[in-house]
Amino acid sequence: MDSALLRINNISGHMTRSCPMRREFGGQQFQQQGTAWSLINSGPCVGRASPIKVLVTGAAGQIAYSLIFMIASGQMFGPYQPIQLHLLDIPKMADALKGVSMEIQDGAYPLVHSVLCSTDVQSAFTGVHVALLVGAFPRGPGMQRKDLLKVNVSIFKEQGEALGKYASRDVKVLVVGNPANTNALVALTKASELPPQNFSALTRLDQNRAASMVSDKVGVNVDNVSNVIIWGNHSLTQVPDVTHAIINNYPAAGLTSPALSTINDDKWVSESFMPLVQNRGAAVIAARKLSSAASAANAIVGHMRDWLMGTKQGEIVSMAVISDGSYNVPKGLIFSFPVTCRNGEWSIVQGLKISQSIQQKIDITTKELQEEKETAFSFL
Amino acid sequence: MSNSEIVNVVITGAAGQIAYSLIFNVIKGDMFGNDQKIKLVLLDIPAMIDGLRGVVMEIEDCAYPLVSSIVCTTDVKEAFTDAHYAILVGAMPRRDGMERSDLLKANAAIFKVQGKAINDYANKNVKVLVVGNPANTNALIASTCAPNIPKENFSCLTRLDHNRAKAQIALKANVNVKDVHNVIIWGNHSSTQYPDSRCGYINLPTGKTPISNVIKNDQWLQGEFITTVQKRGAAIISARKLSSAASAAKAITDHMHDWVFGTPEGEYVSMGVPSDGSYGIPEGIIFSFPVTIKNGKYTIVQGLPIDPFSRALIDSTHSELIQEKTSAFQFIE
Repeated sequence: MDSALLRINNISGHMTRSCPMRREFGGQQFQQQGTAWSLINSGPCVGRASPIKVLVTGAAGQIAYSLIFMIASGQMFGPYQPIQLHLLDIPKMADALKGVSMEIQDGAYPLVHSVLCSTDVQSAFTGVHVALLVGAFPRGPGMQRKDLLKVNVSIFKEQGEALGKYASRDVKVLVVGNPANTNALVALTKASELPPQNFSALTRLDQNRAASMVSDKVGVNVDNVSNVIIWGNHSLTQVPDVTHAIINNYPAAGLTSPALSTINDDKWVSESFMPLVQNRGAAVIAARKLSSAASAANAIVGHMRDWLMGTKQGEIVSMAVISDGSYNVPKGLIFSFPVTCRNGEWSIVQGLKISQSIQQKIDITTKELQEEKETAFSFL
Repeated sequence: MSNSEIVNVVITGAAGQIAYSLIFNVIKGDMFGNDQKIKLVLLDIPAMIDGLRGVVMEIEDCAYPLVSSIVCTTDVKEAFTDAHYAILVGAMPRRDGMERSDLLKANAAIFKVQGKAINDYANKNVKVLVVGNPANTNALIASTCAPNIPKENFSCLTRLDHNRAKAQIALKANVNVKDVHNVIIWGNHSSTQYPDSRCGYINLPTGKTPISNVIKNDQWLQGEFITTVQKRGAAIISARKLSSAASAAKAITDHMHDWVFGTPEGEYVSMGVPSDGSYGIPEGIIFSFPVTIKNGKYTIVQGLPIDPFSRALIDSTHSELIQEKTSAFQFIE
């Protein structure tokens, strides 16, 4: 065992003496349901908890700035799981990255055992258990979709290979950098040693935004809206679907109502709802003059936490995962589906009724993903 | 405050960078616990109202169960009415060419108005944390303009310096920061602050060990340690080209959380609080002291030894605060 690892194991031994988190974490999402990924330490100060290695790419950027501190405070892996952070960005961002690591130190987070800042893919990816691939090449002015795909293919090819060669064999991967679905597919394809089930792309932000629009329409708190589904590509062809959504504590505490009948406005659902969700990102940018870093970071935390800790009974979340033929979506695409999670694994919810109009939209987003795949693979 | 009631939490400078990191800590439950529902009140200047609305959209998109409602306002009366907790992040930043007295004057105006609004409209037991710089003097102005609110309810943030000091000790001693205890920040949240390691200890496998027995280097403890902590803010700006919003937000969260829930037995934290004669600092300023907290009330730790080296540094930061007070108070008459 190298000396750094030895030191970390010695340090984590102190956890038996005094629990690092004084705070009252007992909230819903960390209640022990016996369904968490075996790697995560869910019980208070149980023996020598081994740190989990977490990689964040694009680590000097805005989403990462919100995300890293949420992770450090225990929001992703719970209050009893120590963390070793691996932060990767391009050489140009090395100073800014150093600044971020200084702030992590200054945060005095008990769960953070070490921080590795790197501009080198190999060291960043070595041994990681969770990989959050936030960094990607942004679209510049005049850039065509094809150009964007080409430059990102080269990034995610390299990162997929690095995952295959250097990461932990059971690494769980979330791709955020756009075009997220196709970037995830490229990475997965180049990491042929690893199970495709361990790769995903983020549509949780779209799900959260959709729930927000429904809560606005119905006039309830957004945390009372569940099971809004996002189908397909994290792009303008995404399909936000309220067919199976429910409103909790409505019309009174303890009761649930189907969202569709509560909304009671099919015209709104078919004409206004989807554009509202699709345009939310642009609306935030127009207001803030900056993109929605904090809510994106929160969605990343929610996606990973549900994947690793398990979803609650009756709860459906959206994750873009490798398609298996469900719902007429051809195999071999990264496609956002309704899933439940247990023991660190996701399962596509089967047997949901799909209206004709939703199926049409699913077919459109499927076609877009197939085209992206073809274009991307031509560069591999 | 019982958990079934909703607490009204006001954040000023709410469209700014520190608030952007802070708000999500607050509504996640890190500050007031996982059972405490919050009415979030966000105050900023009219020029920032769009930015503020954008932040609210993002809060909605997070679906946090603890958010009972959100209010955006540019009006101090609306902001501070029935406030239980007020975190005053917003202040006039120093611009190029601005003299210190200009900065004090501009901020005196802001904190006079906010202090009066807190006096007139907030809950009588409101707890106030001033972050906007110059934090100590701004807190003093607000408190002075709020005679109906107990002065003990006004504090300023030195927890960031405290956390930075812990981090530096942890790095030097090669331990995890959670094992470093009872460093102290004395005085002004400025470059005259005194980060003091003499009463601190480190949890080693062999037991609680005084810092100076682990870091056997007085020259470092009285030299580079102090200057590194004092200048840390500038070092972060130099690296990031932006100031240290996330770590400031964490420190604010820690300060308020501990003020509400109390500190563990034997643990000191640093808070800028009204001086009361302790350690030779007469009443009348806001000064960072080591405190313990119980039942929502802090107590300045008494009886800690002050050697000549420390005395000089404490006196120096005290002088600076007296000067700031004199300058600032001419603007609030």
